[in-house]
Amino acid sequence: MDAVHEVLGRSALVSLSATAIALLIGVPLGTWLALARVRGRRLLATFVNTGMAIPTVVVGLVVALLLWRSGPLGDLELIYTLRGMIVAQVLIATPLIAGITMAGLQALPPELPDQLRSLGANRRQLVIRLWLEARVPLLAAAMAGFGHAISEVGAATIVGGNIHGQTQVMTTSIVEQVGRGEFGEALVYAGVLLALAFTINALLTSVQQRAASWARG
Amino acid sequence: MGSRLSLSLRGIRHRRGPREVLAIDGLDIAAGERLAVLGPNGAGKTTLLRLMAGLEAPSAGVVEIDGVPTAPGGAALRRRVGYATQQAGLLSTTVRRNVELPLRWRGVAGGARRAAALAALRRLGVVHLADRPALSLSGGEAQRVSLARALALDPRLLLLDEPAAGLDAEARRSFLDDIAALLADRAMTVVHVSHRADEALLLADRVAVLVDGALHQLAGPSRVLRDPCDATVARLVGYDNVIPGRIDRDGELLVAGRPCGIRSDRPPGDVTVAAWATAVRLAPPRDGSFEATAEHVCVGPGRWEVVLTGEQTVRAHLPLAGAPPQPGDRYAVRLDPELTTLISG
Repeated sequence: MDAVHEVLGRSALVSLSATAIALLIGVPLGTWLALARVRGRRLLATFVNTGMAIPTVVVGLVVALLLWRSGPLGDLELIYTLRGMIVAQVLIATPLIAGITMAGLQALPPELPDQLRSLGANRRQLVIRLWLEARVPLLAAAMAGFGHAISEVGAATIVGGNIHGQTQVMTTSIVEQVGRGEFGEALVYAGVLLALAFTINALLTSVQQRAASWARG
Repeated sequence: MGSRLSLSLRGIRHRRGPREVLAIDGLDIAAGERLAVLGPNGAGKTTLLRLMAGLEAPSAGVVEIDGVPTAPGGAALRRRVGYATQQAGLLSTTVRRNVELPLRWRGVAGGARRAAALAALRRLGVVHLADRPALSLSGGEAQRVSLARALALDPRLLLLDEPAAGLDAEARRSFLDDIAALLADRAMTVVHVSHRADEALLLADRVAVLVDGALHQLAGPSRVLRDPCDATVARLVGYDNVIPGRIDRDGELLVAGRPCGIRSDRPPGDVTVAAWATAVRLAPPRDGSFEATAEHVCVGPGRWEVVLTGEQTVRAHLPLAGAPPQPGDRYAVRLDPELTTLISG
């Protein structure tokens, strides 16, 4: 059995990496969905919103089939690795981040993009300013993405395989301990996992609420 | 190149889906001119400003600035134009940063940016709010900051889209007076749209009356007021009574087939009568004259406001010093020719 700090470090590494990558994909995607006026935008928005509700075990299954040694991406040798788990968690967190980003930007005054253009903003300046205006929901998107990633167990088990010393993370470890009837140890791990989630979310919430109350004056 | 921009619209047609929302064959605005666009809600005023600002391309036709067709979407064009919209559109940062931001986008250095922002806020009387969060301001303060943001750019063409909309009467008046004073000192071309005649006329060298996307009249403010080209324009500029009439063979104006005290040298035929409420005189009923019954009487600022009904409904403003008409009483209605305009057809 791995020491709790090793498992915790692995959990934090996988989930924070997945959240960071999902932010890099999900925020631009959500921005495009909120601002673009092209055909197919609504259909894609529906896919993204559906993606927010897909069970993580289904994502894990699909990713495992793709990464399996005989699968189409088997040559990448990502199955039963931390990188493979990150890929799965990116797919879990991205729709959530994109969906919340889209909703956050659409909740801004609809005339704001044109007002910024009329003040001379080019496309890059416009998008950056809109992100700053929507910073409260964007931080909520980051929290939701991280929360989804750190708490999921289905994809981590299927793609990572819960290999001791390599791919075991907090959630898969708790499941294993419960399976062995070691409830006391499982509760300790659960408490530590909660503390990690609380610490990171407390940090983000503090930034978010400070931003919100400052804007209100 | 001068410090002001001239603007021309040629053969403009603009559609929203299947609906044509703007149809202007030609409109020229000289460099330094102040044009007011007056029209009811939904007339296409904001769409017209958006075309002028390069935020949208017309479905057909061309917008020229200083004789050069504009390329919609180009930040270079928009950076010569200041555009203050109906909503203040302030950002969730300090007032000063709101004003500085477009200057930063234009590459103005920090010190000059700050000085320009504070000078613009001072001109609009809101420099004391510079460090306040912009979203905590009242409506009137926010509109002043929004205009300061547009003026800080020292634009060559200033577009104002009902900047006083949503302000109470006192704040509106004070804001408009300040705008008029500010623009008097500045060399820039101004296009100001409004659905309120008093607001439009205050700032204008010329008034363009826009109804259902089409220009109905383009003339100086006093001409539009004294000689509206049709009933729609007469209502828009504020005539309280716009009613059908007829000139008979003797040159007598008849309303509801009865004389109302006005003679005209126009040829006999149908006319539209546009009369201010102050043009209406009430007298005891007499044989043959146009009569109406006082329906509603209330006190207004310095006057009695009376609604009279008969074959035509007439609104009258009478001096407060006199006794008010009694509801239900019948009166002969006469019109003061100095305060009444006849429109052909």
